[in-house]
Amino acid sequence: MPTLDDLRRVIRRIEGARPPRRAAEPVEKTLGGEVLETGAGTVLAVHEDLALSERYGPVALGDILGIAPSTLAVLAPALGVAVDPRGLVFLDTETTGLAGGTGTYAFLVGVAYFSGDRLRLTQFFLRDLDEEPALVAALAPLLEGATGIVTFNGSGFDVPLLETRFILQRRRWPLTLPHVDLMHPARKVWGDWLGDCRLGTLERRVLGVSRERDVPGAVIPSLYFQFLRRRVAAPLRDVLAHNRHDVLALAGLLGWLGRAVEDGTAMLAPEEYAGLGRLWERTDVERACGCYEAALAGGLEEDFGYAVRLRLARWEKRRARWAAARALWETALAAPAFDPRPWEELAKFHEHRARDLPTARDVVTRALDLAAAGGASARIVEAFSYRLARLERRLAT
Amino acid sequence: MLGEILDDILVSRSTGSCVAATRHVPARAAVLAPFPASLDPRIGQALRARGITELYSHQARAWELVEKGENVVVVTPTASGKTLCYNLPVLQTLLHQADARVLYLFPTKALAQDQLAELEQLATQLPELKMFTYDGDTPQDARRAVRARANLVLTNPDMLHSGILPHHTKWATLFQNLRFVVIDELHAYRGVFGSHVANLLRRLRRICRHYGADPQFIMASATIANPREHAENIIGAPVGDVTESGAPTGDKLFVCYNPPVVNPELGIRAPYLAEASRLALRFLRERIPTIVFAQSRLSTEVLLTSIKAGVADTTGDTGMVRGYRGGYLPTRRRAVEQGLRDGHVLGVVSTNALELGVDIGHLDVAVLAGYPGTIASLWQQVGRAGRRSEPSAAILVATSAPLDQFMMSHPDYLFGASPEHARVNPDNPFILMSHLKCATFELPFLDGEPFGERDVRRELAALEDEGLLHRAGTRWHWANETYPADHVSLRTLTTDNFLVIDTTARDEKQTKRRQVIAEVDWGSAFATIHPKAIYLVESDPYEVQELRFREDEEKVAYVKRVRVDYFTDAVSAKGVWILRRLADRQHPSFRAEQGEVLVAEKVVGFKKIKMGTLENVGSGEVELPQQEMQTTSIWLTVPPAVLARVSPSREELIDGLRGVMHLLHRLGPIFLLCDVRDLGSWLGDTTPAEAGEPAERGTMVATRESTRRRLLDAETFNPTIYLYDAQAGGIGLAERLFEVLPELVQHARDTLRACPCAWGCPSCVGPVNEVGRRAKATAAAILALLTS
Repeated sequence: MPTLDDLRRVIRRIEGARPPRRAAEPVEKTLGGEVLETGAGTVLAVHEDLALSERYGPVALGDILGIAPSTLAVLAPALGVAVDPRGLVFLDTETTGLAGGTGTYAFLVGVAYFSGDRLRLTQFFLRDLDEEPALVAALAPLLEGATGIVTFNGSGFDVPLLETRFILQRRRWPLTLPHVDLMHPARKVWGDWLGDCRLGTLERRVLGVSRERDVPGAVIPSLYFQFLRRRVAAPLRDVLAHNRHDVLALAGLLGWLGRAVEDGTAMLAPEEYAGLGRLWERTDVERACGCYEAALAGGLEEDFGYAVRLRLARWEKRRARWAAARALWETALAAPAFDPRPWEELAKFHEHRARDLPTARDVVTRALDLAAAGGASARIVEAFSYRLARLERRLAT
Repeated sequence: MLGEILDDILVSRSTGSCVAATRHVPARAAVLAPFPASLDPRIGQALRARGITELYSHQARAWELVEKGENVVVVTPTASGKTLCYNLPVLQTLLHQADARVLYLFPTKALAQDQLAELEQLATQLPELKMFTYDGDTPQDARRAVRARANLVLTNPDMLHSGILPHHTKWATLFQNLRFVVIDELHAYRGVFGSHVANLLRRLRRICRHYGADPQFIMASATIANPREHAENIIGAPVGDVTESGAPTGDKLFVCYNPPVVNPELGIRAPYLAEASRLALRFLRERIPTIVFAQSRLSTEVLLTSIKAGVADTTGDTGMVRGYRGGYLPTRRRAVEQGLRDGHVLGVVSTNALELGVDIGHLDVAVLAGYPGTIASLWQQVGRAGRRSEPSAAILVATSAPLDQFMMSHPDYLFGASPEHARVNPDNPFILMSHLKCATFELPFLDGEPFGERDVRRELAALEDEGLLHRAGTRWHWANETYPADHVSLRTLTTDNFLVIDTTARDEKQTKRRQVIAEVDWGSAFATIHPKAIYLVESDPYEVQELRFREDEEKVAYVKRVRVDYFTDAVSAKGVWILRRLADRQHPSFRAEQGEVLVAEKVVGFKKIKMGTLENVGSGEVELPQQEMQTTSIWLTVPPAVLARVSPSREELIDGLRGVMHLLHRLGPIFLLCDVRDLGSWLGDTTPAEAGEPAERGTMVATRESTRRRLLDAETFNPTIYLYDAQAGGIGLAERLFEVLPELVQHARDTLRACPCAWGCPSCVGPVNEVGRRAKATAAAILALLTS
């Protein structure tokens, strides 16, 4: 809530005069690029061409062109169509805030797309807010010619925001445009391991790229507002650099994921194998399990390994590979803290699958002892007691 | 049967002498009109299926005006078929234009739900129409479908303000094809709230223009003095009105009932709640549908308890009388409404929550336990009783409050007074600026583009200087990271509600679930759910064990079922202190100042009151923080020398000043275009608030009586009239008052002179029994000196 003084000052200012705005220094001189003439006015476009042999992370940009449409479908199962990687547009926006709604502008839209033997990066920048019609006019044909867009959290942020901007400029957003939002596969692959799955984190820890000096995302809106008021563009160089990194990181990340999915011999950390397993779960359980096995073979930290083991055991059980599942559960029993899950699974296995009631009873009895010692909740103790009672009954008859 | 009971009330020994006045409103036949020739036969069919073969004249008239393309406001009494006035043209349009979209606005979610049910019923035989409510309760995943597909969206101003307009691109289909905006309960949008809504509609019309739409407005209002003017102020466009109801009314008897004097020496009357309950029971025992209106949530529960007990005596049926008030969970309220409609529920005890157009069918008798405060409310409540052909009755049971007693001794005033004016001021700078921010967020402002009718270039320039807007080319753009609608609340009430949680079952280890039994709004929480309070839900008593109100806690009250024969009534105290003087002006005979004040209220204790007899059976103290509000105020001090010329008696002067304050408070809204409730007033002194904790700085709240005592005993006698902005922080009402004060004082003097009453009445210095017999003369003398 504004304070009384704030409001009073506003009212008082109505009476006062407005200070004149300083003469603008040409933005294109400071930021480079060309002033693009569109049918809807002008907008600044800053270009950069990158050779396909350049790398952003371990994979060359050109390798993206070799990614099979089926691989893209693994990364974005909702695609539904075969997408030619040559027509992809990598897209990231810088906005005047995170609030959403019609009053939040995308003042910088960075796109990268393949053009001949180059990856062309173009950053459309609003030298003033009235250049938005031109930005939309310049962006629209690029998107219409694309086979798909690649973003990071674009489905939650960039795309609805641009859709709003398009509608405000009385243009239709290309609704059917296939969209690979890398945040979803990234969360599967790195979420359990890194915890934090922001693009910047992945760039540093996965792609091994470090930005020399990066402007924090949170201050970007205020930098732009300051520019609008003072017309001094120099501080915005950092914002353009930030956006450039983000767009290229999209390409780097797609290249990394494409290779990890397609090339079984790629050198991955065990944790990444585990993450890849989660990625495969939806489309190819066989390969998912293979990844989990590779992860366990490579050696994982205790807690992480424990979770992967139970996950793998669940898939082995679903595929009725009982011996493998049983071995995993039995290994899991050794966990220092009492966890009822493997005990329960083993009890079920012995009772219903192996039909070895005495062993089942043995498992449940041990579980109950540990549960009592480990201070497990009443609900868990009750479940085991119930199971034990039933086993006793069946053994008695 | 109704007639017999009424006769008995009027003539019997025990009650006859309590009847202060009666008015007979004769039956009126329906004025009918045939279905309009242009009405789609399918709608005619649907109406016939519901037993409607002709329209009432006002419905036909509304149809005509809408057909001519005019904006319309319909003002007719409760249950006169007002909703058909807008539903008919809306359904007609939706049937003929598949793309057409319609927006309905109701002040509450419950009313929107209600109206949706009614529409669906009417539309059962029509081709499928997609009608949805869209409000805070709409699940996230359903919202997209509503936005894309709904022909008709029912929502409330708050949702339009923060959920729809700032995201209008998601609603592009709706705005492009918006044909009608329907606003029901228009009278609810007055004062500060109404001024917000008027600005909200400026924004709405602006968005519509952007999408090339120019919707027609159809509005409905309860009786107010100035419906057409009010409607035009709210939507900012010319409006035609329909004020003649063609609906039939049955014979109605209005009875003013003053509880008997039980202690002639002290002039004490029998408790009005007990009287109201006895009267209601006479009808309910004969199975005559009755609604009882109480003036507070607490009295609703108290009345309900005794009525339920009374009904159970003879029928043993406890589900037949229900309670209804804000704070009950929605499911409970829906059940009561449904029960009333289908006749399972015979009687209901309600706060003014049932004054609005919630459909509860028809009842035969309305018992008003206490005067509801305004003439408009009075007629709304009275209108809840009465079928279209059967006779009905309304009984106003007076409390011993001065205002009620005045009405009993001056029934002509009661029956003759015109309903209140609804006033709004969309150009209030604070409110206007808030909405300009929201509007610019929604769409950039073209230079010179008016907002409503108003030129706002200066305001936009000021907002740019504040760093909120940015001018590029010919347009002003929103240039800030915030979402301005989040910082503008249309209503003064916060939405921060307390949950009331019953722990009886949990303590007995029967359940782990949280049993939420009610909600209490922040403003009344300390008075109703303080520790040890008895909180009643449909007359079941719960004792509050713990109240959690700290900022970092979830706001809850833990209660437990108890068996007690008493309820509690909070005792509170108040005070106003000056924080900062911002302006002062010496008028010829008084000094006016303007600045910031601290208004504090505190619940200091409670009384235990026995159910049934309503005698005081104990008391308790509570330790609760003072509820404070900083706001802007004016204060007016009359120099002792001037006062001395009026009277040597401090006592008389205090009464006179109270009278002057009453006048200023009542007349101020005419100058401010606000509602009486938007202002607060207080007679205190000029003690400034000191820094520090309330307890240390001497800002101890006091009851009205102890303040009076302090003024009487003070060394220097400096009684001061405060008139303050009732909205925390203030919205500029005090600043405006400061400017118009000489005219206001003049107007007060003229009003007092012209008032025909002998000793004071609610229209001038307040009811005589509240301000005393000398107040009118003293106030007149003070005002004469102030204006000399």
